Amino acid sequence: MSSLALMRWLESAPDRYDAGMRLLTLGRLSRVHRAAAEAACAEPGARVLEIGCGTGALTERLVRAGARVTALDHSAEMLERARTRLGERAAGVEWLERSASEIDALPDASYDVAVASLCLSDMGASERAFVLRALAAVVRPGGAVVIADEVVPNGGLRRAVHALVRVPQAALGWLLAGAVSSPLRDPAAELRQAGLRVQSERRWLGGTLALVVAEVPA
Amino acid sequence: MSLRWSDLWRDVAQTALRLVPWPTEPGLRSVGDPGPESPVVVTGNYDLTVRRLVRALRGVDAWIVVAASGGINVWCAASGGHLTTHQVVAALKTCGVEERVRHRRAVLPQLAATGVIGRDVSRRCGWKVRFGPARADDLPEYFANRDQKTDAMRRVRFGVVERLEMACTWAAPTAFLLAAAAAPFRPGWSIPLAGGATALSVALFLGYDRIPAPRRTLFAAGAAILAAVCVTLAGGGAPALATGVAAGLVLAAVLTYDYSGTTPIEGGSHFEERRWRIVLDPERCDGVFSCWEVCPEACFEKRQDPRRVEIAYHERCVRCGACVVQCPKDALSFNDADGRRIEPDVIRRFKLNLLGKRVVASPQGKQGQEEAGTR
Ligand code: SF4
Ligand code: SF4
Repeated sequence: MSSLALMRWLESAPDRYDAGMRLLTLGRLSRVHRAAAEAACAEPGARVLEIGCGTGALTERLVRAGARVTALDHSAEMLERARTRLGERAAGVEWLERSASEIDALPDASYDVAVASLCLSDMGASERAFVLRALAAVVRPGGAVVIADEVVPNGGLRRAVHALVRVPQAALGWLLAGAVSSPLRDPAAELRQAGLRVQSERRWLGGTLALVVAEVPA
Repeated sequence: MSLRWSDLWRDVAQTALRLVPWPTEPGLRSVGDPGPESPVVVTGNYDLTVRRLVRALRGVDAWIVVAASGGINVWCAASGGHLTTHQVVAALKTCGVEERVRHRRAVLPQLAATGVIGRDVSRRCGWKVRFGPARADDLPEYFANRDQKTDAMRRVRFGVVERLEMACTWAAPTAFLLAAAAAPFRPGWSIPLAGGATALSVALFLGYDRIPAPRRTLFAAGAAILAAVCVTLAGGGAPALATGVAAGLVLAAVLTYDYSGTTPIEGGSHFEERRWRIVLDPERCDGVFSCWEVCPEACFEKRQDPRRVEIAYHERCVRCGACVVQCPKDALSFNDADGRRIEPDVIRRFKLNLLGKRVVASPQGKQGQEEAGTR
């Protein structure tokens, strides 16, 4: 049933998204993005595929770091926001209005790096597995897959605290950013399942934000 | 499958908290014992929707593809850009159904038509989608009818059950807020206030169509009186006054809310975009009848010679946008209150078929906004 209150919230979500995510992650997200951009742009001029670019926060860092970026998002509205954010630099980016599940149509081994920020946690398990396999295929052997996302922390105590704050946090996340996500249990394991070689994993914010870098085996 | 207790409490909780997303794991499910020729039904990942669908399909062998709609029900998700072509394509491609069935035909809930463009799904992943009945309960009959919808299956119903559900949805948060606002200062008030809010919601939705227009003024007057009563009753002292004001404000919010947005029977009047009018360009219409097929309010009538539709019942339109989104000829569009046309493509790209974001995105809309800003 159509509910106007809900729609009002959803409608204004893209506006609140950035501010909401900053607040929710206590500003840590920009650190994660900085680290992600560093990992992705080790060599200048790298061909980087970013899936789920959203409002373009990470896209902007990638472009500044000198990458040649293909950014995709399934939402026209988000893409428009990302373009606006990048201003003049937007012209150098290839923008694709597509869902991550369609990257299997891109040519194999055509990118040096693939990045995904806060994108896998919006998907179900089967979609995630599919997308990770597809990422492994479109990145050249020896290239990297970089994942930045919300995760369930390791360790009994942290997990318990996480479970406790999860419900209010999810409610807050929805109100502030219009997002309902399910934190990943073990992104490194999922990357391995997709045939990738995990090289490093870093965590922030009590272990709830992770950056995982993996290599496509030759 | 019998109704289990855990199902029952989830039904109650989810009906009361319908305004909050309640996600369930997206992916492939099955009911009965489906095989490679069994029907494929797509839905969103709102827990209540999926469980109701499973119950409705009792006795049918079918595959259920749960798309990631942000844990929101189908109509809201489709209108809000959370259940669009993309989520459907992603679900069909990745859930594993392609390995289980030989055909590529999927049935979508009709109410997904505000967000999902059927022909784009087939272009992008090869699946042919049809919009089935508006309500899951009609699916067995729909399949028995060889995928034919009756007129009744197209219409959204707003009977006693739907009204009571909607009343619960409103009563639960308002009763809770009122009780919580009163508890620290006037604990004795909590229960009567919660009870009052519940009774009010039930009365409001059951008698919805009988409350005379202009409802808004009527509700606002009622709210002002109630707020005044609360403040008076609260008597002396700052805390009591604060409670009274808080209770009054909640009541005012409840009473002045534009309920027409939550009912499928009426387009409201609070918001500019709700005065949009659906218009048909008969020159472009070629009588494919996609609009007729998805309109939940049966606003269209088919005409032959020349073959095209006519908007026969303007007054029923709830501005859901489904017809505009589906029309392959761009023959339908909305005109805003000043008669400016809002292009079908703007509606497709920006979703939220009931609301104003798109107006901002359209060139005329931008102008309108700027004018409004300089005034
Ligand atoms: S969908 Fe468009 S072209 Fe087809 S009957 Fe309706 S208005 Fe005419
Ligand atoms: S005519 Fe109105 S109610 Fe019917 S589909 Fe179009 S917008 Fe929705």
